[in-house]
Amino acid sequence: MKLLGKDIDGKELLGRIEERLRARGLHFEEEKPIRMDGPEPRVDPMSFNLHALEEHADPTRPMPLHTHRGGVGQAVVLAKWVFRKTCQVLINETLARQRVFNGHVRDAYAQLSAEVIRLREQVEALEPEPKERAPAPRRRRPKR
Amino acid sequence: MVVHQLVPTFVRGDATGQAAVNLKWLLRRLGVHSELYAADVSPDLHALVRPATHLRPRPEDLVLYHHGIASWLSGEWMHLGCRKGIVFHNVTPARLAAGTPLEEALVSGRAQLAAMAPHADVAIGVSELNALELREAGYRDVGVVPNVVEPERFGPSWADERMARRLAPNGGATVVSVGRVVPSKRVEDLLSLHAELLRLDPRARLVLVGGFDAGSRYYRGLRRQARRLDGVEWLGRVSHPELVAAYRAADVSVSMSEHEGFGVPLVEAMAAEVPVLAYAAAAVPQTLGGAGIAFDEKRFAALAELVRDVAGDGRLRGKVLRGQARRLRELSPEVAQAALAEALRPLLPARRARSTRRAPRVAFVVQRHGEVTGGAELLARMVATRLAKDWRITVVTTCSKDHLSWENDFPEGESRDGPLRVLRFPTIRGRDLRRFNALSRGVLGRKNDRVSEEHWVAEQGPLSPALLRHLSDAREYDGYVAFTYLYTTTAWGLPLIADRAILVPTAHDEPPLDLEIYRDVLRLPRALFCSTPEELALIDRRFPGHAPAHVVGAGVERHPARPDRFRKKHGLERPYLMYVGRVEKGKGVGELLEHHAALVRRYHDAPELVLAGAASMRAGGERVHALGRISEQDKHDGLAGALAAVVPSRYESLSLLALEAFAQGTPVLANGASDVLAGQVRRSGAGRTYGGAESFAQGVREVGEARAAMSRRAVAYARGHRWEKVVDAYREQMDRIVSEARR
Repeated sequence: MKLLGKDIDGKELLGRIEERLRARGLHFEEEKPIRMDGPEPRVDPMSFNLHALEEHADPTRPMPLHTHRGGVGQAVVLAKWVFRKTCQVLINETLARQRVFNGHVRDAYAQLSAEVIRLREQVEALEPEPKERAPAPRRRRPKR
Repeated sequence: MVVHQLVPTFVRGDATGQAAVNLKWLLRRLGVHSELYAADVSPDLHALVRPATHLRPRPEDLVLYHHGIASWLSGEWMHLGCRKGIVFHNVTPARLAAGTPLEEALVSGRAQLAAMAPHADVAIGVSELNALELREAGYRDVGVVPNVVEPERFGPSWADERMARRLAPNGGATVVSVGRVVPSKRVEDLLSLHAELLRLDPRARLVLVGGFDAGSRYYRGLRRQARRLDGVEWLGRVSHPELVAAYRAADVSVSMSEHEGFGVPLVEAMAAEVPVLAYAAAAVPQTLGGAGIAFDEKRFAALAELVRDVAGDGRLRGKVLRGQARRLRELSPEVAQAALAEALRPLLPARRARSTRRAPRVAFVVQRHGEVTGGAELLARMVATRLAKDWRITVVTTCSKDHLSWENDFPEGESRDGPLRVLRFPTIRGRDLRRFNALSRGVLGRKNDRVSEEHWVAEQGPLSPALLRHLSDAREYDGYVAFTYLYTTTAWGLPLIADRAILVPTAHDEPPLDLEIYRDVLRLPRALFCSTPEELALIDRRFPGHAPAHVVGAGVERHPARPDRFRKKHGLERPYLMYVGRVEKGKGVGELLEHHAALVRRYHDAPELVLAGAASMRAGGERVHALGRISEQDKHDGLAGALAAVVPSRYESLSLLALEAFAQGTPVLANGASDVLAGQVRRSGAGRTYGGAESFAQGVREVGEARAAMSRRAVAYARGHRWEKVVDAYREQMDRIVSEARR
């Protein structure tokens, strides 16, 4: 562990703390290298959108049960659970056409985004100064 | 150019909304008007933040979208036909919200960030980390503008007394932590630290400030964990003064957050003079900038010892606080303003061109103009008319006649008022008096954050975005004269033009003058023209460091008057007291009616009371004549024949009524609660002040007994208020402004 700050002597301060911990019979670990967070990686919008459309194409699949309310909120969660357990047949029947439609939207988006990626690559190959451009999207799915 | 700011959700206490309000303030100082919009905003905030569906930018405008978690606004923004910018507040990594409904929205937010990159003309990160992530997402020319915290709003006098009593020292160390109760903030680590601290200090307290979802699994788990510990205070969402009290009650502020895009509470704690201990995650080390103490591992036993050291070792604490004070200066609003100017440099309008005109073009900015009842408006019209001989004057004003409703009574556009060109702009929203009064009770006389004050000013109105756009864009004026510190036309309009403006504050000792938002209004213009020495003294006390101020006031002329004509016209036979002005409670007319009724009950020869002016209250009673609006000639006839003119308002910066009465040789009976009126009466020796029914009756008697002598003194005093002197003062100051602009 390290203490960081321009206005303190981190080593000296930590040394004092270490002594007191030892006096209390507590073990003090060796120093480890400082862990620094880097920037979060870019999430490619087109692959994310395709993944999200795939994930949510079936409207008969329930979302995770959740409430932000205390008290009555818990009773509402229970009521939702009971509804899902007992009425899934009706939910499937009601949303059958929506399910088909969502599938078409997903497929149409997949075809269009593939075409956009292909065209971008062509444009990139034609442009003289690729350094000036925004980085090309990486074809990978976001970690879930 | 107007900068429209788009915020997904505007909620009080939320850092993104606060940042947008702060940017609006900084942009104003840069001479650019900014409007706020949100996809989700409560209707009671619509005066300050309009629904996003109302956004209609012009091609030359800039729309700054504050991006964090996913929002449909991102798609709308990409399709706007104007210049576009992003302010990135960072997105919490989805791994820190795994298994919660937030997880997908967080990944989606990052995908939207990348999708918007090719469409952005400007990109701003609130920290270096955010700027780095913007570049990673494909943005170019990224600027860093840190979030703004105003240290003066965290001073000891801003702390809520009740909360301070609740958290009064108990002999143990008090740790405060501020932030929403969500998994990424690692509240469980704060509880673990507290458990260790209790071993060393059984009276230790942990104060947790921030909103929470009472039904969430995470929060319920924390409550179970906390039940096993003594001294844990969950404050939830708190008001700004309560927040200040919580910080100031603490010995140490601790952050265990695993991810911060900036970390506003770190800077707030510095402003409240509390040592900061923070886990060095994401942008935390950048925000601390070497101040406070950052730690890279969460070893709770060691951290508990550290809390004890920082709380109890005066030398260590002093060193840390001095470092934090240095860091606060590095993150000051002035530094943020310079960074914002740099980030927007390619898009900001060019500086105003140098004027080469012989006769300066001057804009008089005033909330209302024309046939309206109001001292400041009348003063503006009198000054403008007299200066029109030398200057080409445009009155920039609203279409409103009534300052309570702000309805558009006059037609929009250009018209003439004698020698004056008048440009009228419509208001987009009337004043809801019930809501405004309720808001005033919550804001006036209290310490507030900037959002509350901006909201109060917005509710007060007039809301005329077109007028503010005109002030922001117009290049045709060489100088400006703005009237009345109070309204949006000045509070928001004046900073846009301050480098060429004279402000006539017409300030008096009233609760709004305590709002911090008016500091800029009184500090930024080239000169303040006060009406009386009392007004200048008041501004000195309230806003030290204000712009150079002079007592200029108004001139007064003796108009020919025939008292008999007024008596005959209105059927007045007995002696009478006369009030001219808005007949409303805020002007003290209610008290005046009560005092007069008591006088009538006690004395059979009590004088009549004449009220002249537009009424917004029921005004009547025995021997009371409510005449409504009267002509200028009627006013002078009436004043000349009155036993005394009565000025019942406790909020006066000059009182033209008193000067006009003096000019007619009529004494004045004035509310002594107003320093300005008391000063006028004292200097003139031509009147009396009152503080209640008894002194009112005594004043009437004394004025009646010594009217002739007072009349002579009144005329002599009025002669000292010549328009020539007033006009010369304006001319001299404006010449200075114009000649500097020509250099």
